[in-house]
Amino acid sequence: MGTDEKTMFATARSRIKAWIAAGAGSAAAIAVAGMMGAFGALHRPPAVLAPGQPIDTGQWLATPRRAYLSGEGAYGLPLKPGDRALVVEIELENRTAQSGKDYFDLLRPLTPIGEPDAKPFVVLTRDETMSPALQPGLPERMAYVWAMPDGSTPPKAVTLAIDGKVYKAQDNLYGTPGWFNRHELGTLTMPVGADATTPDLRP
Amino acid sequence: MMRRLANIGLLLAAAVLCYGLQTTRPHYADLIAPIPVYGNLKDDVALRTFTVRADAVTFACTLAIEQFGRRRLLTTGGVWAIVTVALSAKDSTTTIAAATWKGPGGLLYDTTERLSLAPGMPPVTVQPGLPGKGRLVFEIRPDEASEATLLVSEARYFALDSQAHIALGPIAVRPDGLPEGTVETFDLSKDL
Repeated sequence: MGTDEKTMFATARSRIKAWIAAGAGSAAAIAVAGMMGAFGALHRPPAVLAPGQPIDTGQWLATPRRAYLSGEGAYGLPLKPGDRALVVEIELENRTAQSGKDYFDLLRPLTPIGEPDAKPFVVLTRDETMSPALQPGLPERMAYVWAMPDGSTPPKAVTLAIDGKVYKAQDNLYGTPGWFNRHELGTLTMPVGADATTPDLRP
Repeated sequence: MMRRLANIGLLLAAAVLCYGLQTTRPHYADLIAPIPVYGNLKDDVALRTFTVRADAVTFACTLAIEQFGRRRLLTTGGVWAIVTVALSAKDSTTTIAAATWKGPGGLLYDTTERLSLAPGMPPVTVQPGLPGKGRLVFEIRPDEASEATLLVSEARYFALDSQAHIALGPIAVRPDGLPEGTVETFDLSKDL
């Protein structure tokens, strides 16, 4: 055996050692992550949520009430002539300890409505205030209004994804409390009524 | 071998020390938290840049406001709390923009965003030597009315600055659950 071969085998052996060490380390890390519940969220089919039932999204207790089309502007929101609006009314109760308005990302329409990724206007139905902060423990009915451009076919039913967030007592940067990690809680399908006289959906 | 053990020992000692520091030392958020200046109703509370005095607290079921020449009534699922405050700047023009009603249960109610353009709403700007008045309107749960604390500061988010903590005292409760002395309608369009 020449010196070259010796060193070659020696490097191969140390390489195998390194692989085993790294492999064992990774396996241990995955096992610990698994034990701590890291795979709990994997491959879980989205829950099917029912209208009229309160949904706990973390910050909000959200009760979807009704969905309808509006020919003229809903709740004081002006529309372009010919446009229609899809209105989704939902009761929101602030579950946190402080006034907040982190409700813009609560609903994501899965049914195409007008422009893709169009942001809804959020209106307080009580007095048509545009997106006010909601007070802790005081439920309010809010209307999410999407403008539908002239010529788009109005959907018979709208499917919405409901997103929630997770409370962290200390965030990683400043150590302050906050709501993070937006995730989908489930989907909800509501029939779309013809006008604003549509009754509330019962569970 | 000894050397390796010593290294591991040192590493463990460092981990324990770091963990101890993390759990016992105050957090960054606590270090830069608002510096409270305490006071009671009708006390002058002197902060770094301004002085605030809460003069009166009124509760109302409905608010009346004049908006764009139209009279509107604002209802609420809880009760409206209106605090009149006297403000004076210390040595430069100061804008007081943030007030919070802290209920006895610890719930934090910011001034309502449902009305604007009414006289005395924050942000209120006061010039040194020219004291002004402000009207802070909160929409609260009726059970958060008694033994509340009014928090007043220049801005909503700030670091290393003072914040007034004004104890508003006990308030009796009527049989219908609303605070004693709740008026039916409070007119916000009239001047302070």
